[in-house]
Amino acid sequence: MSDPLLRLDDLKTYFHTDEAVVRAVDGVSYEVHAGETLAVVGESGSGKSVTALSILRLIPQPPGRIEGGRILFKGRDLVTASEAEMRRIRGAEISMIFQEPMTSLNPVFTCGEQIVEAVVLHERVDRRAARRRAIEMLELVGIPSAAQRADAYPHQLSGGMRQRVMIAMALACRPSVLIADEPTTALDVTIQAQILELLKRLQQEIGMAVILITHDLGVVAETADRVAVMYAGQVVEYCDVRSAFARPLHPYTAGLQASLPRLGETRESLRVIPGNVPNPAHFPDGCRFHPRCPVMIAPACLEPQTLRIIDDDHAARCIRADAIAAGTLDPAPPEQERVP
Amino acid sequence: MTDVIVRTPLVEVTDLRTWFPIRKGLFSRVVGHVKAVDGVSFTVDAGEVLGVVGESGCGKTTTGRSILRLIEPTSGSVKFDGQELVGLPRRDLQPLRRQMQIVFQDPYSSLNPRMSIGTALTEALTVHGLARGRQATHDRVEELLTLVGLSPSHAARYPHEFSGGQRQRIGVARALAVSPRLIVADEPVSALDVSIQAQIVNLLRDLQRRLHLTYIFVAHDLSVVEHISDRVAVMYLGRIVELAPSRALYRSPMHPYTVALLSAIPIPDPDRRRSRIVLGGDVPSPSNPPAGCRFHPRCYMAQAICRTDDPPLREVAPGHLSACHFAEQAMAMAPGKDGEATGWEETGRLGGTEP
Repeated sequence: MSDPLLRLDDLKTYFHTDEAVVRAVDGVSYEVHAGETLAVVGESGSGKSVTALSILRLIPQPPGRIEGGRILFKGRDLVTASEAEMRRIRGAEISMIFQEPMTSLNPVFTCGEQIVEAVVLHERVDRRAARRRAIEMLELVGIPSAAQRADAYPHQLSGGMRQRVMIAMALACRPSVLIADEPTTALDVTIQAQILELLKRLQQEIGMAVILITHDLGVVAETADRVAVMYAGQVVEYCDVRSAFARPLHPYTAGLQASLPRLGETRESLRVIPGNVPNPAHFPDGCRFHPRCPVMIAPACLEPQTLRIIDDDHAARCIRADAIAAGTLDPAPPEQERVP
Repeated sequence: MTDVIVRTPLVEVTDLRTWFPIRKGLFSRVVGHVKAVDGVSFTVDAGEVLGVVGESGCGKTTTGRSILRLIEPTSGSVKFDGQELVGLPRRDLQPLRRQMQIVFQDPYSSLNPRMSIGTALTEALTVHGLARGRQATHDRVEELLTLVGLSPSHAARYPHEFSGGQRQRIGVARALAVSPRLIVADEPVSALDVSIQAQIVNLLRDLQRRLHLTYIFVAHDLSVVEHISDRVAVMYLGRIVELAPSRALYRSPMHPYTVALLSAIPIPDPDRRRSRIVLGGDVPSPSNPPAGCRFHPRCYMAQAICRTDDPPLREVAPGHLSACHFAEQAMAMAPGKDGEATGWEETGRLGGTEP
């Protein structure tokens, strides 16, 4: 396989607060290749968004700080890159779209002006050429009568249209990596379907790598090539999308899937991962999933675990993953017995 | 609940309308109305769970709140256990409020941050005159916390000390404090993490069985709604477009909007690629809904009649209502269909005015 476009190597981003050191990202490694979609799955506090912001070096500092590891983009380490270098990369080579387009778009500029801004900043073009590019981009993302909509202010557009404008802006400089942080979470399902299809089509046209951050396993199954499942600041499972669903090797991944209600399936009660999502300021010691894990064994799981390759290209951070892979251990939480 | 033999509607909603005036100018002249709920009728039996689904702006939340009169309906009738609620003076409404409670989407913003959980629950009891002495109230609070899977010791804690899932448990306990018969659950799990959603769904279902509660379960997530509901109402632009037992709705939807909505939900299984009906455009504005059938500008089977005649909600199969002139063909005419909701082979792309 060719060299990855972007590779995270043991990335650590901590936040130093008065009370504690929050290890929001604690040794994350993953990579994406050109034309590939990597889905980063996790719940609140798993560190999936902080990882993405670290890639663009957008972590507020202080209190945040990249404490260790490397972010290799086309061979350069972004952790040590200068601020000027980062400004050239952001938006031009690595772009990001966010969950809520209304908070990322400037309400006092028209959509067209905001895209022009991005283009002029990174490329040697005059404003007229940049405006032509902006309208082209708005057409590309499927905004009807793009020339007129370029003069619309964000509040005049619907949520789905705003997200399209965000995508147009992010792609205006033809980035090689797009980070999409929950791009459809704030949208209705029928609009989500439009946006996901659009992203897929644009990815094929431009050939960029996409890091899709989401909590929705349905979206993962339909769009991703590879999956990194994050829990409590660490990647706990890393594999191709088929294996992630057909044969999860980490009890957290298995539990997430088992707890989803599925259309057309009747079950009395849903299987449940017990307990609560851990607070980033107080991650459990040892395996961070052990307090909620149905196959936890003491004392082995009270020791920190490493992400290791179990078979083929399938890695998991679990001491029992070999037994799970061999089929001798069921990692999913048991069917619940209800106490009347 | 199929084991109930005699079904009596606990809630009977007839032609409910809730319009919000749009005001403009110096004298706040009314220039139009946002017709959030525009002619909705349905019944909910005692002990039944009715799911209400739809996209943002379809009026599902307004419907739920109008039933409880947390928002004043513009016209129509809401009967609770035979008694008319619309137009009932506040004084007479108060005793009925005890029997109808609501669980909100965001439990954090619905809890007073300066009030301990025990105090908040005690207040609910006091307001409705159910606090009978300090010890009895204390016992009741502990009982409620245990009922929703929390520990009695949590009574002394404050909302910020709890996680999202625990807060929603508190929201449920607060609703249950007055022993209601009806609970309107407004997106009760959509703000929660995936691993926590299942916990709350199971809790709500358990409580419904155990306490013989009636739910109106409002949510945008069809798979959650299908899981918990006996029947499901699908709303679009202030109207119910389809109402059916949840299995039937999923297996054989009889409205093109439901067909499209079901096909848009991503399935968590990479081996089950299915075609998707991508609806063109956005939901039109509820202040100026399209003439004829409100769905016709985005519909894949719209005919001339759909642009002029508003289809009534009619029974197209036993217990299965649809507001479509061509309800019987909704599945058969879906692009790329092969007759089963999950088995579409090709991707269908639908017209409408926008790509």
